[in-house]
Amino acid sequence: MSSPGRPPRPPRHLPIRMFQRILIANRGEIALRVIRTAREMGLETVAIYSDWDTKALHTRMAHVAVPLGGTVPRDTYLRADKVIAAAKATGAQAIHPGYGFLSENAGFARAVRDAGLVWIGPPAEAIDAMGDKIRARRRMKDADVPVVPGLVDPVDDAAAVKKAASEIGYPVMIKASAGGGGKGLRICRDPSQIESAFRTASGEALASFGDGRVYLERYLEEPRHIEVQVLFDSHGNSVHYGVRECSIQRRHQKLVEECPSVVIDDKTREAMGEVALRAGRAVGYQNAGTVEFLWSRGQFYFLEMNTRLQVEHPVTEMVTGTDLVREQIRIASGEKLGHGQDAVRWNGWAIEVRINAEDPRNKFLPSTGTIQNLRMPGGPFVRLDLGMYRGMEVGVDYDPMLGKLIAWGQTRAQAIERLRRALQEINVGGVRTSLPAALTVLEDPRFRAGQFDTHFLESLDLSKGPSDHVDLVAAAAAVFRHHRSRRRALQTDSKGRGAWLARSRQELPHGAARSVRTGGDA
Amino acid sequence: MKYFVTVNGLVREVEVIERLGQLEITVDGKPYELSYNEVDDLGQVVVLHGGRSFGLSLEGDENDVTASLAGHRYDVNLEDERERAAHAAERAAGKAGGVLNAIMPGVVVEILATKGQKVAKGAPLLILSAMKMQNEIGSPADGLVQEIHVSAGQAVSAGAKLITLTPVEAG
Repeated sequence: MSSPGRPPRPPRHLPIRMFQRILIANRGEIALRVIRTAREMGLETVAIYSDWDTKALHTRMAHVAVPLGGTVPRDTYLRADKVIAAAKATGAQAIHPGYGFLSENAGFARAVRDAGLVWIGPPAEAIDAMGDKIRARRRMKDADVPVVPGLVDPVDDAAAVKKAASEIGYPVMIKASAGGGGKGLRICRDPSQIESAFRTASGEALASFGDGRVYLERYLEEPRHIEVQVLFDSHGNSVHYGVRECSIQRRHQKLVEECPSVVIDDKTREAMGEVALRAGRAVGYQNAGTVEFLWSRGQFYFLEMNTRLQVEHPVTEMVTGTDLVREQIRIASGEKLGHGQDAVRWNGWAIEVRINAEDPRNKFLPSTGTIQNLRMPGGPFVRLDLGMYRGMEVGVDYDPMLGKLIAWGQTRAQAIERLRRALQEINVGGVRTSLPAALTVLEDPRFRAGQFDTHFLESLDLSKGPSDHVDLVAAAAAVFRHHRSRRRALQTDSKGRGAWLARSRQELPHGAARSVRTGGDA
Repeated sequence: MKYFVTVNGLVREVEVIERLGQLEITVDGKPYELSYNEVDDLGQVVVLHGGRSFGLSLEGDENDVTASLAGHRYDVNLEDERERAAHAAERAAGKAGGVLNAIMPGVVVEILATKGQKVAKGAPLLILSAMKMQNEIGSPADGLVQEIHVSAGQAVSAGAKLITLTPVEAG
């Protein structure tokens, strides 16, 4: 309670409508990312956490932290009721969902609104409209947004496939209607291949899924993943923040992202930006969002819209000088964008790599352990967004992303060299990480020349590792073992103590022998 | 002590002899000048060699060490002469099969192999779900599926027995 004579809390640089306290319904690096901007804006922050995250950075960094009770996401971060109750209990006026968890859950967005809280994200209706990929595709087609040419309804005989293929244009991809995991997938480059491709694809699909119907889609050669960052306020204003390229990915998991892209010139950027804004307008979008496209040989096609902040948003921030989380909060509080498209400027180049707990030498399988032996990078124009800390347990119940390393340069070449330098500085111990794979990408001449597509990462042989400095590493590892064995021999609590102790007493100088005895008494 | 050190698949013979507190090192029989200085007890090491300094990170145990140097990873395996002889004897005894263990805790989604099936190295044996990802676990060697210890839907901890393989008969 405030004392009678005390003036109300100064609004600082914020307008009256701006809320004072926000809850961040997330964990890890993105929770920290939002907390940081909120603090800079003079807002108070509320963190939520599972039992697993009692010591996590976001729990520590927020002004208030609320335990959700439970260990796994479905009992904690995915429980809309608990999250909203935490906001109510702490007097938070708004909820920022981050990415993942409940961020694209329209039901949650509605529940937040119904609870009288502000949702720092798009309207539930827009989330719904973009959430169903098939419906979104139809809607985009109606709004004159280019989509990959293809069939909307599945077909089940070769003649129908052939007819559709000639309308769509070759090469075409035959996809099982009930498909998944690469089963029932065939590429045809001319009509003569259709007959047998359809038969095998349909047969495979029938055997695997009990449904032999297939879809047809234009097969895009050398596809690249290009996406456009957009912002819409609640007053009908919208701007785009240009493109990011995220073609370095594996099974749709992005690893290296950059802003802008070597294949997108200013004219194409404006064209894609305009289409992205049209896509957002078609669903009544508000707040920050990303429209993803596949780009192939000069043409671009709508893939989907992510109705939230993206993991890779920092590269856009570095190049445009815009704090996108700040814009999200401003927009959610009802403020106007306050500037037009002309005010958006792109300066230089930024690249991000994701730090995932996974083993690139073993098919990127998740890696678990306790984070230790951390060495942080630094220096000019390097940004490190981390959710990890020394002593953090990396388990299997949560996303393997530990953080992101981002570097900016005046040119792409400079950004690559700077990020490479930072990757040589950073060390993460206790788990395997994706970092060496990211370094291999940055050192690859094709990546450096900008010649890559979404198949690039899978084409790299990441199984071996470097073959230089082998003598040095071998010698150092032998010394490591030598010291370790000796230390072990001196450990008084290890089994086999008696014999080793007697031996070490004989061999070690007087003082050392005494310290061994002292250790044994403790 | 002499060690057989495998670094990213390349083998070196390294001898480390401690004389009056100084380490004398040879690599493949040639003297190797090396100054080894631990920064902390977590794995940061400064190594000097040939007038150059290297910030190395080393972690692991007596046999398996992960080294990181300037962002690249080196998987290192060490054997002394006794261990090497023992491992060679194991290999000679034809223990190519063995037990496939879970390398991480997770849930078995699907068993792809059947008991008695002949599998080639790398052939998918089962799918393990962990960290929101479905991971295909391949066969570590050519072999015959002798026993399947888990079933679909079962949660397993790291190190749990999944499948036992027996080596395929020659010919």
